[in-house]
Amino acid sequence: MDRQEFTVTKRQLGIFLALLGAVGFLALLAIDIVDIGRQGGIGPAQGLALALMAATVIIGLTLIPLGDAPA
Amino acid sequence: MSAVARRTSALLKILATAALLFALLIYILYAANLMNFPFDYDHGEGLEVQASVMFSRGELPYRDVEVYPFYASPYAPLFHIMAAPFARVFGPAYWYGRLLGFLGSLVCAAAIAYAVYRDGKRNRWIAILSGLAFLSSNFVYHIGPLYRQHMMMVTLETIAIVLLAGAFPRRDRRGIAVALFLLICAGYTKQLAAISAIAAIIWMTLRSPRRAIAWTLAFALAGSAIFAWLTLVSGGQWWIHAIVANVRVFILEQATGLVLLWFKLHGFLLIPAILLLIYETYIERLSLYSIWFVAAALLGGVGSGLWGAGDSYLVTSLSSMCILSGILFSRMTAGALTLPRILPFPKASAAAVLLIPLLYIGYARATLKMPTDGVFASIASLLAVEGNVRETFYDSATFSVGGYARIGYFLTEADLRAGYEIVDRIKQTAAPTMSEDFGFPIVAERDAVTNATQLRILHLVGLFEGDTLIGMIEGQDFGLVILRALFYPPPVLEALGRFYEHQESVHMNGFDYLILYPKDLDSN
Repeated sequence: MDRQEFTVTKRQLGIFLALLGAVGFLALLAIDIVDIGRQGGIGPAQGLALALMAATVIIGLTLIPLGDAPA
Repeated sequence: MSAVARRTSALLKILATAALLFALLIYILYAANLMNFPFDYDHGEGLEVQASVMFSRGELPYRDVEVYPFYASPYAPLFHIMAAPFARVFGPAYWYGRLLGFLGSLVCAAAIAYAVYRDGKRNRWIAILSGLAFLSSNFVYHIGPLYRQHMMMVTLETIAIVLLAGAFPRRDRRGIAVALFLLICAGYTKQLAAISAIAAIIWMTLRSPRRAIAWTLAFALAGSAIFAWLTLVSGGQWWIHAIVANVRVFILEQATGLVLLWFKLHGFLLIPAILLLIYETYIERLSLYSIWFVAAALLGGVGSGLWGAGDSYLVTSLSSMCILSGILFSRMTAGALTLPRILPFPKASAAAVLLIPLLYIGYARATLKMPTDGVFASIASLLAVEGNVRETFYDSATFSVGGYARIGYFLTEADLRAGYEIVDRIKQTAAPTMSEDFGFPIVAERDAVTNATQLRILHLVGLFEGDTLIGMIEGQDFGLVILRALFYPPPVLEALGRFYEHQESVHMNGFDYLILYPKDLDSN
């Protein structure tokens, strides 16, 4: 008989995605702060990446209420 | 279901099947047409022929480009090793590599159909249509029968993913080992398979972190050992050509254009695939196919914007799209989706029998490409299409998006004659020929010299000086130079401009091949 093994839950995946998205979002914004000499503000590629990170945060937050269901 | 609805459903099913079988027929005819053409159809095929030839002689194609013949391969070796026995028996030629790519695409379609049948609800018709839908894609169509390693990579990773999806939950150690071995094979067919490997590792981690770590370590160890061995036996050249020379400029407009085209052509199945992804994310468990789809679409989409990349980078996502949409349709038909009560699922199951064939018909129309002359003229007229990318070829993708491979049309007798015309020019000189495309020197049984794109990339990263090659150009050691896209590094092109002159052009396969001869320097 199979042993019960640890699997990642929807809540854990949600927390991970929310944190990943938030850190990624801040890191992408930080490019403009760290690289002071850079011209032109947020570029189109950076904008797309920021949107992707924001979407990751939202997906993560919506998964958290689903609790211990396996991801 | 009423008798009328049943009859309508049966008719729509026949239409959907006929539409995708028609796409398969065009694909087979296109593949047969290409296999009879002994020259480059897509730029770069000849470079891969040369890699197979070198493997057939027991040589590595990862070599110093500063010495004659100034050639090195930037590609992983497995596809070329597969073709090497053919190269040994038949000599350098294009047909066997194109045949391998074409057969690979059929095997990939079969793996997709098997996955839908096994992991859906054993619906044969939907399983078969899922496989046919893959072959109908414009992106798959034009790269499948080329002497390129890409399709073989997609085939190997698709088989690996389908095997792993079945073996990992069952703790079938042999099945998991075979699947991971095939993923390594895919990676050593083309480095891009790393995306599928990432997806597999993420999914195994979600299912069982402990087992995932153990398998990932074994997987990484085996993959790294091969990498280290190749670097060692090639004296470091594998590292230079496969890794360093793969750093390329990212073109955002190309990536966004290709992703929009990807959606426009495949939307009829992409939306169902995304719906199953959402369903698994919030209601059931995430399948390997869903994670593979997200990774392949995101990373493949970004990768498609690299210089020299293109729509082929999204083919892996199409394999996962066909599996996901097929599984969703099978489960809808069988009423095997557990939706919240607020959603009208019981009615959806009945509607599915009409909706599903309609979606496949829509998909077949969206991905339509076909000749519009000869025996196809009446069908083209019936479908209200006319040549749009060539006078006698229709491609629903058009050729307006940067990075979309502008191929797919059939070659003619005139193309063949033009190719042999260039071969005749080569045979008229005893000196070596420098050609951007290798087909001509290969048919003329001469050395295949240089790899224009590789030399350009190496020059950009400061790893190609080119003194010996430029010395040969200055010494007019080449009897003939054949240019197609001027991909050589600027110093090489400048030297060619000084010591060679363009005397004629030969039009073949939609391109003007420039024929350069040594300048008469004494008269200047």
